[in-house]
Amino acid sequence: MRIQIERISKTFGNVRANVDVSLTIEEGTIHGVLGENGAGKTTLMKILSGYLQPDSGEILIDGHPVSLDSPADAIVHGIGMLHQDPLDVPALSVLDNFSLGLHKGFWHSKRRLRHQFYTLCRRFGVRLQPDERLSNLTVGERQQLELVRLLASGVRVIILDEPTTGISEQQKQVLFETLRRLSEEGMSVVFVSHKLDDVDALCSSASVLRSGRHVGEMSAPFDRDRLVELMFGRAVSAPVHPCSCGTRIALEARGLVVTSRLLELEPIDLSVCEGEVIGLAGLEGSGQRLLMEVCAGIRKPKAGKLLLDGKDVTHAGYRELQAFGVAYVPASRMEEGLVRGLSIREHFALGAHERHLMVDWDSAETKARAQIERFSVVGTPDTRVEELSGGNQQRALLSLLPDDLRLLMLDHPTRGLDLGSEIWVWEQLHERCRRGTVILFTSTDLDELVDNSDRLLVFSGGQVSNPVASAEVTREELGYMIGGVNL
Amino acid sequence: MTVRDLARKLGLGVIPFALAVVTSTVIILALGANPIEAFGNVIGGAYESWAKVADIAMAMVPLLLASAGMLITFAAGLWNIGVEGQMLAGALMTTWLVESIEGPAAVMLPLSVLAGVAGGALWGVLIGLLRVYGGVNEIFAGLGMNFVGSALTNYLIFGPWKPERGATMSGTDPFPLEVWMPMIGHTRASWLALLLAIVAIAVVFIILRDTQWGLVLKAIGLNPVAANRMGVNTNRHLMLALMACGALAGLGGSLQTTAIYHRLIPQITGGNGYLAQLVVLLSGLRAQWVPLVVLFFASVQVGSPRLELRMQLDSSLGGVLQGSVVLFYLLVNGVRQRLGARNR
Amino acid sequence: MRGRGAAKILVGLLLVALLLSGCGTSGGSGEEFVFGVVLVGPYNDHGWSEAHYRAAEYAVEKLGNARFVYLDKVNAADRPNTTLEQVIDDMVNEGATMILTTSDDFAADTDVVAAKYPDIPFVHISGDHAKTGAAPANIANFMGRMEYGKAIAGCAAALKTQTGAIGYVGPLINSETRRLASAAYLGARYCYDTYRSSDAQDLRFVVNWIGFWFNIPGVTLDPTDVSGDLINSGVDVLISGIDTTEAIVVAGQRADRGEQVWAIPYDFEDACSVKPEVCLGTPYFNWGPSYVRLIERARKGEQDGQLEWEAPYWKDINDSERSLVGFVEGDALTQEERDTLHQYIADLASGKAKLFVGPLNYQDGSSFLADGAEATDDEIWNLPQLLEGMEGASN
Repeated sequence: MRIQIERISKTFGNVRANVDVSLTIEEGTIHGVLGENGAGKTTLMKILSGYLQPDSGEILIDGHPVSLDSPADAIVHGIGMLHQDPLDVPALSVLDNFSLGLHKGFWHSKRRLRHQFYTLCRRFGVRLQPDERLSNLTVGERQQLELVRLLASGVRVIILDEPTTGISEQQKQVLFETLRRLSEEGMSVVFVSHKLDDVDALCSSASVLRSGRHVGEMSAPFDRDRLVELMFGRAVSAPVHPCSCGTRIALEARGLVVTSRLLELEPIDLSVCEGEVIGLAGLEGSGQRLLMEVCAGIRKPKAGKLLLDGKDVTHAGYRELQAFGVAYVPASRMEEGLVRGLSIREHFALGAHERHLMVDWDSAETKARAQIERFSVVGTPDTRVEELSGGNQQRALLSLLPDDLRLLMLDHPTRGLDLGSEIWVWEQLHERCRRGTVILFTSTDLDELVDNSDRLLVFSGGQVSNPVASAEVTREELGYMIGGVNL
Repeated sequence: MTVRDLARKLGLGVIPFALAVVTSTVIILALGANPIEAFGNVIGGAYESWAKVADIAMAMVPLLLASAGMLITFAAGLWNIGVEGQMLAGALMTTWLVESIEGPAAVMLPLSVLAGVAGGALWGVLIGLLRVYGGVNEIFAGLGMNFVGSALTNYLIFGPWKPERGATMSGTDPFPLEVWMPMIGHTRASWLALLLAIVAIAVVFIILRDTQWGLVLKAIGLNPVAANRMGVNTNRHLMLALMACGALAGLGGSLQTTAIYHRLIPQITGGNGYLAQLVVLLSGLRAQWVPLVVLFFASVQVGSPRLELRMQLDSSLGGVLQGSVVLFYLLVNGVRQRLGARNR
Repeated sequence: MRGRGAAKILVGLLLVALLLSGCGTSGGSGEEFVFGVVLVGPYNDHGWSEAHYRAAEYAVEKLGNARFVYLDKVNAADRPNTTLEQVIDDMVNEGATMILTTSDDFAADTDVVAAKYPDIPFVHISGDHAKTGAAPANIANFMGRMEYGKAIAGCAAALKTQTGAIGYVGPLINSETRRLASAAYLGARYCYDTYRSSDAQDLRFVVNWIGFWFNIPGVTLDPTDVSGDLINSGVDVLISGIDTTEAIVVAGQRADRGEQVWAIPYDFEDACSVKPEVCLGTPYFNWGPSYVRLIERARKGEQDGQLEWEAPYWKDINDSERSLVGFVEGDALTQEERDTLHQYIADLASGKAKLFVGPLNYQDGSSFLADGAEATDDEIWNLPQLLEGMEGASN
């Protein structure tokens, strides 16, 4: 199947999400769609998969114009989209989720479904247990299930929107392998991403969007500098992390035992000096977040001591630690960080914490304007946070942090951000280090870990390594350590 | 606001109302009666005299107070179905006061108000404890507490507080005149009760729009986890919200005894706690619309008994009208949002 | 398109509103007499409220040029937001110039409303505030001497019972209900003693109260359950003291299953029709002739604030033009039992058989009437306890 997108335009209010976009996806190719956050990639893909209707322009399949009025319509025409957040039912089993939406009749034969499920899994190298409860699956596995479900409904063109966000390196490799098999079988894959590496590794051709326009087209092998320039309209280079460690010990853990319902980590001993950046490396769910939650007072340690500036804060609660200058920025911005439905101004008013009866809207407005300006958030004080793009949500979240912090913890601070935003975020964080703030952060991106931290803690299988100076470790060595190989 | 926005908002109010009228018309026709005569009787029954207007005003009092309370808990994301029990608790506390002490009106009236507020607040706190520390969903906690309240009321009326001549469904003996809320002229309307209700809804409006607490509640309602991360003590504010709601609802229940029935009767709340849920839904959780919706509900309530007197139609047709307006509002709102989502 | 649709709806609504405003009041003829009747239960309850409803219809027919307005189910459970005052305001607005409030439960509220309308005569059935002085002058109280009806019912039960145990399904507890339950007991004891030559000491008479005049789910006990429990405890005749028909319904169901049980409903002449095979009879009110008399008296402005307590018309207690209290014999009585019952009624009429006559003790054992002493009307009206020999709560 050959898909042609012809002069598609789409406007939301004053925002022109797509302007005259035309591009072609050949049969059996993996086509990358690149662009920074807010470039119009997702809008274009929603149009292609029937979730949105364009203001003008048309879509042709094998040369024939089609009208895609709904996602179901698109699937009938052989186009299916894999969402950033899989739409599934966590309480049901894998097989039940597989049959949902797939099956039209009232009765369904479990045996036939199971057979179909196994066949598809084998064919595309997917390993899923049909009777597992969905809530036990990782994000990557849920993605694979969604993929299998789309394939079962007979689609020939699969759209993936930022599929590598939130999954581990291994899962990413499994996904890429599956996608390559699909293209070998003659299906087309549209791979939407802002990650150059992924597009480079997977795609045979790529289109770049910027500010809603189609600005360039390229085939493999790619010229990365050229792609970056197309994406951002300028060349971008990452700054080198200036080591800013002071000499005073700011944070100290003594025999700290961190536990959750599923996991108990070995005791952690750690001394962190002012201005130091500690990267927490490891597969997701290896306990990095638990450690941060303990340091933030959200979770109680099972044993051991935690000292902040020499003071025992082992049993201090979250709000108490907040008062000491501790802040925690969760990974799921819209679930834990920001309040959907409130405007930026209301967020600043909420954060004011002052024991005033009435809200001081004027000062909230002033503060919101100043921070919006300072953090280059694309929005106004009136903008509700859910209307911001992912990168701007992260900027808004950072802009809400108090200026003078002693300890700042960030879970995946650059997840879902484009390169430009990622660099900008780290500039902000390093600026804080220079003023003496200790930073703990997690990432699954080895480059980000090595480039930005002074020392690394590697979490693997319930063990936590001694701190490793990031200057003394290569990416490969780090990869082995994460995989549980002791060096 | 553009003209288009205004039209859309009006449509949101007018269309459900029109649909509800159509539904009721169909039902009335099916019963073999004349719908125009029926609606005429409801409107006439509600507004033919000042005495009727006074009745409407008094029917508004408990509904306004319960709805005002619910706005607070709804803002905090709580479905406080326990309003009914909180009203009962206010009525019980007031009756307890009246049964225990005597005094001049200047003492008894303020005390009766305080007792109602305290009783409702206490009931709200109990639900809050169940929710925050017991891990019981507030809907079930509230429902359970409603049953407890209603059983307790019946026990007290048929037991310790029964009239001298024998216990009856009609309730306790009438309160002494010192605990009757002062009336306007010869009507049944009490200016003090009305004033309290109006002040309550106004205060809630201001709380939710302009106070730090209102903003905190809104944040908790929209995203408790994020609010907590921002340093809000969510548990404390959930308790406070339930307590404030209970206080207002309790005042409503208290006024049912001191301004309307002048005694405690088994169904002292008059179902206003449940009706308030519909009011708040129909007002789209916005305080400024609550008085209008309450006025509509109260008018139907006061006007519909005449359906029986004149036309031998069951006055619960009024309830059908009230209920279907809410249903159609939710329906129209849902359809609108769905259409809106498609166009985004 | 959408705009035009909305405009159409608006125009339609305006039209409706115009039409509505055009039809406000209905014209009435000048001299028609309108009276209002407030019923506590449903107008078709086959019991107390239906008896009043039928009486109002009867009165309209007899009086001519009269009409009545009524509202039924006036109680806190069925109409939580309606007070008696609002109901009567509406009735007055409808042109009512006399009001009958037909439940003991309306006593206090009737006082308040009557004070508000001093020019309108009120008849409150079955309170006594006119007598105690609690009521304003425009209230009269009215009641029938149902204790005779109940005594006949008790007698019928005593003649029939095989197990020697009679159950009484009582409403709430007050002096009226104590009086009626006690009368049923006295009738039963008399007949058990006199006609069955058994020792009245062996007769069990169990009173279970449900808590109100009729079932209110969640508030009162369920009379269906109460009736069933009584039968389970060995009772084989149920006497109903409540406004509705659960006792005979339950007895009918048990009889269908082959049990030997009977029932005596209350209040309404046709109540036996629920299940004639198990019905021993019904003591009933025939309010019609009294309504005519009360209304005519009020119409002439001659109502005085008294409590009137009307006896049955002893020459024929079932004379529908004369007797307020009657007793319909049920199909389940044998001819022999009927004859005996007639004898008892005749003895009551002649004064040979007396009801409240000594020696009688209260339930707690204290003395009520010395041997041969007869109770005064006041003592009977205000009976403070059940009688010795009856099981069940006095308070």
